[in-house]
Amino acid sequence: MLQIGSVIDGKYKILSKVGQGGMSVVYMAINEKANKTWAVKEVRKDGVLDFEAVKQGLVAETDILKKLNHPNLPSIIDVIDTDDSFIIIMDYIEGNSLNKALEEYGAQPQEYVIEWAKQLCDVLGYLHTRERPIIYRDMKPANIMLKPDGNVTLIDFGTAREFKEKNLADTTCLGTVGYAAPEQFGGMGQTDARTDIYCLGATMYHLVTGCSPSEPPYEIKPIRQVNPTLSSGLERIIEKCTQRNPEDRYQSAAELMYALDHYEEIDDLYRKKQKTKLNVFITVCVLYVVFAVLGVTFNAVASTKASDTYASKLEQANGNTQILEEAINIPDQGGRKEAYLKLIESYDFDNVFTDDEFNQIDTLISKNKNALIKQDKVGYSQICFELGCLYWFSYKDLTEMGGPKKAIAWFKRALENSDENFDNRGTCEAYISIGEFYRDVRSNVDKGKDKGMYKPLFENISALIGNVAMNSNESERVRLEVLDLARSVIHQYTTNLKRDGVEESALRTMLSDIDFCLSGIPDTTEKISELKSRIEKLIPDTEKAVEVAYNTYSGGSK
Amino acid sequence: MNYIVAADTDIGNVKKTNQDSYYAAVYSTKMGKMAFAALCDGMGGLAKGEVASATVIAAFKNWAIERLPGLSETELADSVIRSDWTNIVTEYNEKIKVYGKSQGINLGTTITAALFTESRYYILNVGDTRCYELSSELKILTRDQSVVAREVELGIITEEQAKVDPRRSVLLQCIGALDNVYPEMFFGETKNNAVYMLCSDGFHHEISREELFSGLEPGVMLNAEQMTANIRNLIEIDKQRHERDNITVVAIRTF
Repeated sequence: MLQIGSVIDGKYKILSKVGQGGMSVVYMAINEKANKTWAVKEVRKDGVLDFEAVKQGLVAETDILKKLNHPNLPSIIDVIDTDDSFIIIMDYIEGNSLNKALEEYGAQPQEYVIEWAKQLCDVLGYLHTRERPIIYRDMKPANIMLKPDGNVTLIDFGTAREFKEKNLADTTCLGTVGYAAPEQFGGMGQTDARTDIYCLGATMYHLVTGCSPSEPPYEIKPIRQVNPTLSSGLERIIEKCTQRNPEDRYQSAAELMYALDHYEEIDDLYRKKQKTKLNVFITVCVLYVVFAVLGVTFNAVASTKASDTYASKLEQANGNTQILEEAINIPDQGGRKEAYLKLIESYDFDNVFTDDEFNQIDTLISKNKNALIKQDKVGYSQICFELGCLYWFSYKDLTEMGGPKKAIAWFKRALENSDENFDNRGTCEAYISIGEFYRDVRSNVDKGKDKGMYKPLFENISALIGNVAMNSNESERVRLEVLDLARSVIHQYTTNLKRDGVEESALRTMLSDIDFCLSGIPDTTEKISELKSRIEKLIPDTEKAVEVAYNTYSGGSK
Repeated sequence: MNYIVAADTDIGNVKKTNQDSYYAAVYSTKMGKMAFAALCDGMGGLAKGEVASATVIAAFKNWAIERLPGLSETELADSVIRSDWTNIVTEYNEKIKVYGKSQGINLGTTITAALFTESRYYILNVGDTRCYELSSELKILTRDQSVVAREVELGIITEEQAKVDPRRSVLLQCIGALDNVYPEMFFGETKNNAVYMLCSDGFHHEISREELFSGLEPGVMLNAEQMTANIRNLIEIDKQRHERDNITVVAIRTF
């Protein structure tokens, strides 16, 4: 132990003890001539089992450490070997460790943590790129000093490398080995720069959430599960740093630094935009190569702007179908679903889908079909489904059920291009069957082959009532149209339904379902109220038709 | 309910000190006879490593002698045992931590403590020492707080992989090394004609479940001499298989 007040090497007067580690004590000392404070670290020879090993390590390391020069590292000035201890003189770092900050204030503000992480990343990059790379291996809040000016310094460099290797022959406790990366336990390959990346990730996690990875539940959760207001970009960075397999982490401090510099850009929203931008960029690059081969050069920069133009056109369109068409016609943008969906929305504004409107979107889709399927198959399926619905409910021509018949093809395309997450599969199938019923019923009746068609029709109508009419997310008009269709099917085909074996009770149940559904649909516009009351008025007649068909009609008023 | 207690400990093949500590006793109280046992596996490579385990055992022994008789005047509620024992663990976590800092060493200990009454057992666990119940079958009553046990539970590695995992001696929790300790408690019904066995991890690495059951099941644990001999026998087998750790076993036979 150094005595308080004693003078080391004729220069450094020991003022007070400021810290104690596993095998060393740190003092604050002053060089009275220069009036400058220093930290003096004493590694006691009796505190260590095999001091010779430590000393060798220390001598080798301190020679390297003395040459280090980085704003976020304390400089080592001198190393003195005495009889019973080994003394290292270094910069005295004013301030507190981040560990203390965590103890006192809990989780730290995200902006600070990112700024500190950048500085630490810079230090790690510096250490990793020395002629003989130095792996720090022990990044944790306790080893980071927060200085009064807000910058951080990485401390505890005077310890020999040998003693940073986790010695696990004996039982140890997770908390005492710091945020050991999986490979630090041995058996999983060497520790390298990526080990430090892991520990820095764990340190950021602890700082930003206030939860230590070495306390229950002993895991590094996505940070927004702890605090939803944190950045999803930072969440991704921490997740990537702390992957079990070093191959899956950032491979260098420089790579991590880049991510930290751009963390806001990998936030969800930004990322979504960037992803489509990237797709466009890739397409452009591919085209660029093709064109280059053809001897045509192509200004890539100008083309990447295309997606920006696309987005702004979409925004300014505001229902203008001409502008939307222009957006689709921007080079390389025809494979994006957004403009098509907006077109469909605008067509349906007046609840009337005309042939001209159809011709416009049909031409655009045919032209871009391959791009659509290639770029976003599910999106294409969505376009087809919406177009099917548009036909079904808003297209009118001179034939009976003209819209639904035309809708069949689009619903089929929607099914063909959907994936297993397609929510509207059942609805889509019901629409197709009903559409096909109306397409085939006339000729089948003529040929006397219509028996057996009505029961499936009834079942599909039931499905539509369940999926669409009872779904309050659907528009009032669509819900009412489905109910109207259901009522009219019962009314028109009562005897056929009976012949196909549909029970009277089933029809009655459906009628009461229709009635119940009607009462749940709000009167949002005059048109809706009109349609609603029209259906309501017809229900008693339909009931009568059922009674007559099933011979239960008593003739009197009920 | 009556109890027979037997125990044995061995320094093992390699270590220079035995850092395991244990205590076991039977008490007559107003609620009938009770058996109390505690076992600690100390850690810390340096000479004073066993200090932690012995200190914590002494604290629990003190609890059993000073506090248990008073508690047994009325009903023994789970919540009372939980808060008493958790307090001891928290207090000694601080004490050992401060001592470690003053000596410049890292030390710590696991603990499994168990109280058996006519109707109920109360078990506290920190780390990877264990408590088993042997009646018609073998059952582990505690859950290891270790890195590999957690990964087995999460399905990341298998039990076989856990046995050779380089992290198999890394604990999630221990007394004396962390800012906070989170002990786990287990409660249940004490079975008649059963053997309750506490052991350190040095015992369960090399001895299979089948050997454990056939060597210590109630049918072969009929008196203190026989029980001690059976335990010794298994410890010797364990050592022949090159177990490196200290080995300690405490067995309580109910009848």
